Formats: sequence, structure tokens, C-alpha cells
Amino acid sequence: MAADPTRRRVLTASALMLTAAGTAGCASGQAWPWARPPVPVPEVGMLRNVIAAEDAMVSTYTAVLSARPALAATVSPLLRQHRQHLAQLRDRLMVPAGARPSPAKTARARRAPVPAGRDAVLAYLRRAETDQAAFLVHTLAAVVTPSLAQLMASISASEAAHAALLDSAVSPR
Amino acid sequence: MTTAGRRARPGKAAGNAALQDALAAENAAIFGYGVAGAYLTGRQRATATAYWNEHRSARDTLSGLLRARGEQPAPAAASYKLPFGVHTAAEAASLAIFLENGVTAAYLGLVGAGDPGLRTFGARAMQAAAIRATSWLGSTVAFPGMPAARPSPPRAR
Repeated sequence: MAADPTRRRVLTASALMLTAAGTAGCASGQAWPWARPPVPVPEVGMLRNVIAAEDAMVSTYTAVLSARPALAATVSPLLRQHRQHLAQLRDRLMVPAGARPSPAKTARARRAPVPAGRDAVLAYLRRAETDQAAFLVHTLAAVVTPSLAQLMASISASEAAHAALLDSAVSPR
Repeated sequence: MTTAGRRARPGKAAGNAALQDALAAENAAIFGYGVAGAYLTGRQRATATAYWNEHRSARDTLSGLLRARGEQPAPAAASYKLPFGVHTAAEAASLAIFLENGVTAAYLGLVGAGDPGLRTFGARAMQAAAIRATSWLGSTVAFPGMPAARPSPPRAR
């Protein structure tokens, strides 16, 4: 079992000590599991995009809250949940040691300014939620890790529900 | 342990098992909405009827998916044990939330079953169930279907 160059580098320190003890060079030994470098997950790039999009949702809500504080009762609980989404997604981002940090990704800023009028603001947020929920469902088709796909599906369901709640707030039936 | 057949095609077997779980949840929801509807009136009753129909439609879709994969859809039980007594409109609404949460969790299993063809389907079904739950609850949760999700008690709308 030939160690790949990355693993070899990680094992260098312990290998040197073993050499000193005269027990190294045994190619058949099992590598220490914790010495294995993290495997770059194939969806790191995708996850970064999802995080950026969720970050943009937080920014959108923060902007709305500062422009229309009267909407706090409706908007604040949703903002709180978006922050929970963002925290969970960020927890999943494991960047392999030694990987070059990717250029800082600016959140996909929603350029449209916060519209005037209560119902227009709620409709603006509802559109953002619908887009984000659809983006997540579209994106999770390519996810390899089942638990990440589940997290994204759950967040997407939460955001679809946000859109429905905002919709009912726009036009009480 | 898994059977030899399951070992041969773990992805398909896991997908089939998750589809059966989703079907079982839909069948329970169909039963439960029948109970809830009896205690609801007016707009709430109309909503319960509409959602009952959505669950029946989902049941038919799941049964079709299972048959297309060469699997026999498991039949519904004659009755289901209610999680709590249902005698009022508020309790009926709580039951509806309980049902939607169970359905959402079942589709979460489908999303995690590893069958890419079923994943998007499961995610869309989770959205629909979360929207229905929200219409009863009057608020949203951060992670529908996830084990930690604990919705607060329903409020009258």
C-alpha cells in the first residue's frame, strides 16, 4: 500500500522517530487513521456557492430590517433561521489542510434596493426565498455526501415555508 | 443484516426502502387528516380536505414509483395510533402538524438514500410538507424534518 505524497508528508515526523527506533520501513503497516490528511470533498466549491447565497439572504434580511424596523415581528424570526442555516452550512465546510485558500468570495449581493411599501418589501423577500429554495433543490442533485444533501433539502424546505409565510402576510386571505 | 440481493444493489434497495417509508408516512397522514377534518370547520376544514387530497396524490405517486422499480407498495394500515387525544379544533391542528412533520422526516430519508433520481423528488416533497405545516403552525422552523427540529406548540390562527 503505497502512501500518496500528501500522506507521506504528514507522516514524515513520526516516520523519522520510528527510523531512529529502528522499526521503520515496514511497508505493510497500516497508516494511523488520524494521520490521514482530510480528503478534499468534491462538493467544496458547490458548498462555497451555497454558503455565499445563504450569506446574501442574511444580508438581504439585515438590510430590510434596518430600512423597515416596523416589519421586525415578521422578519426577525426568519432572519434568525437564516443565520442558523448559514452556521450549519459553514460547519460542513472542511477545507483540506494545505489547500490554497480560495479567493474571498463576495456574497452574491442582491443589488435591488429594498423597495418602498410594506407589501412590496414582503414580496421582495418572498421572491428571494423562492429563488433560494429553488437554487438549493437544483444544486443538491449534484451533492455526493448524503447528509449534506439532507441539510440542503431541509434548508430549502424551511425557505419554501418562509416564502409561504411572507405570501400570507402580503395578502391576508 | 442486509440480504444478498440488497448487497448486490445497495443504492436501489436503499431507495426502495426510503420510498416505502415515505409511502407509510403518506398513508398515516391520509388517515390522520381524516380524523383531524372531523374536528375542523370552515376554512380550516377546507384546508384539511385540500391537504388530505395532496397526501392521497403523493401516495399514488409513490406507489407508482415503487411499481416502476419492481417493488410492491406496502398497504396502508387499517388504523393508526394517534399521538394524543384529538377532540378539539386546536388538537386537530396539532395533529396536522404532527403528520406533516412525520411526512417531512420520511422524505428527508429519501433525500439521503443516495439515489440521485429520488433526491430532488424528496426535496420538493419536503418543501410541500413544510409549507403545509407552516399554514397550521403560523410560523416556520429552521430545519424541517431534521431530528432536532422541535416546532413550538400551534397557535390559533
